[in-house]
Amino acid sequence: MLQARNLTQRRAGRSVIDIAELDLPPGTGTAIVGPNGSGKSTLLRLLAFVDTPTGGSLTFEGRPIRTRADRKTARRAVTLVEQHPLLFDVTVQANLRYPLALRRLDPSEIDRRIAASLEALGAAHLRHRPARALSGGETQRVALARALALQPRLLLLDEPLSAADRSATALLAAALGQLLAEGTTVCFTSHQLEDAYRWADRVVALTDGRITGVTPENLFRTDLPAGYGSKTVRAGPLELIVVTDLTGPATVLIPPDDIVVSTQRFESSARNQFAGKIIRLADDGHGRVSLTVDVGTDLIVRITPAALADLGLGLGSEVMLSVKAMAVQVI
Amino acid sequence: MDFIADGFRRGAQLVATGDAEVFGIALLSFRVAVVATILSCFIGIPVGFVVGTTRFWGRRAAITALNTMLAFPTVVVGLLVWGLLARGGPLGGMGLLYTWWAIVIAEVVLAVPIAAALTAAAVQGIDPRVRRTAMTLGAGPWRVHWTVAREARYALGAAVVVAFGRVLAEVGAAMIVGGNIRHHTRTLTTAVALATSQGDFALAMAVGLVLISIALTVNVLLQMLQARGDAAGA
Repeated sequence: MLQARNLTQRRAGRSVIDIAELDLPPGTGTAIVGPNGSGKSTLLRLLAFVDTPTGGSLTFEGRPIRTRADRKTARRAVTLVEQHPLLFDVTVQANLRYPLALRRLDPSEIDRRIAASLEALGAAHLRHRPARALSGGETQRVALARALALQPRLLLLDEPLSAADRSATALLAAALGQLLAEGTTVCFTSHQLEDAYRWADRVVALTDGRITGVTPENLFRTDLPAGYGSKTVRAGPLELIVVTDLTGPATVLIPPDDIVVSTQRFESSARNQFAGKIIRLADDGHGRVSLTVDVGTDLIVRITPAALADLGLGLGSEVMLSVKAMAVQVI
Repeated sequence: MDFIADGFRRGAQLVATGDAEVFGIALLSFRVAVVATILSCFIGIPVGFVVGTTRFWGRRAAITALNTMLAFPTVVVGLLVWGLLARGGPLGGMGLLYTWWAIVIAEVVLAVPIAAALTAAAVQGIDPRVRRTAMTLGAGPWRVHWTVAREARYALGAAVVVAFGRVLAEVGAAMIVGGNIRHHTRTLTTAVALATSQGDFALAMAVGLVLISIALTVNVLLQMLQARGDAAGA
């Protein structure tokens, strides 16, 4: 469906995307996961032919996309729903009609598609409302309905599951599942690895605009102070002690398997201890349980089902997480 | 005080009785203002659109030039246009001086920067996602521009209204290039100036009342536009 080769994007002299190879095979769901600022949105805009890459090539349905005219043609078959989508300052219905009228569809067909896609996202009652009066979750649903109505051959979604409200998340997830079941080629970004694995056939990890083999759990952008050995760095809202001789901007990784879970603070050699609450539990089906613990930011921890049972942990349990400074990886 | 009240009363009477002189002047003024507004928006809005949405070499200089032209003294514009249209001037052969077209030309020169500067500000204020969203939905370049304009429609409407107000209230340039000739180039503003200097306070007041009522209508329209814009943006 879409192939990218040596795709680069530079901004203000800095490389923001540098991808040797990325394929979106027809009828598959691909998730792009990575921490905030890893270039996910930038990449999607390149794949949506909205921005022009600095270098490299894109091939869509077997045709190389080089010129402005090529991109314009390709954009008829591809659409992108942004993380914070924009609805035009007209009614919801007029928003959905916009791309359909551009494609000169039959009025009765336009009407049918508008009704069907609003229905699919539980937004039929919003049809005649002014779009700018909707809530965040409603806006996201209507934006996805607008994309679905034009029946793209490739659908790109930026953080579709980070909706403003819970009911919207459920509806968006259902719509995403439906699309994938119908065989639409979908590519979406997520900072939740679990969502990625749940909905996608393939997961691509993006760090600093590059595709990496590293699982993007517990990754944080940071700035390392000068000096050698043990140093304290900021990792999102956390203060983290790491051991490295590197300085300057870097990414730190707290491996989910190296985090020790306890119900109480205890004396140990682990330099990093964080108090938090379990907000998600998932069995990965391979003898391990993934806990998402809110310690000011979400940390993923993997333990065995036996350990979970022994500690008597469940959703909402208060826990302590301990990590040795040596275990924190600096990339 | 009686003098003013009396002038106001007799002025109102002239308007109420449909005085031919007053209405002739009002009609001409309105025609000049409408034609000048249409022409200046026809030129100014696309210019403002380009300045506001595209990046090109000299863009900042263009914005500075536009803003400077906003404050151009109207008599100087009148003088320059008079120079262009006078017998010895480059466009003298067209015989436009002292016709209502001469006033239209001078007022277009004055109103184009207003239309352009307000359009530039309006489209600059539009969310950058509008362009991107239009593109992701399959719009070509022209359709993208049209979509941006549609999102800015309330601000663009305001630009048209402000240009109209400027053109209608203008007196210096209209006096110089129009010559204030009765039944030909006498506009509401030049008529007020003349009637006042002739001591016909009632006529000046009557014409002034018409001018004020048009200005009031225009401002009410502007406020209604903005109120709709605010309501839609909420």
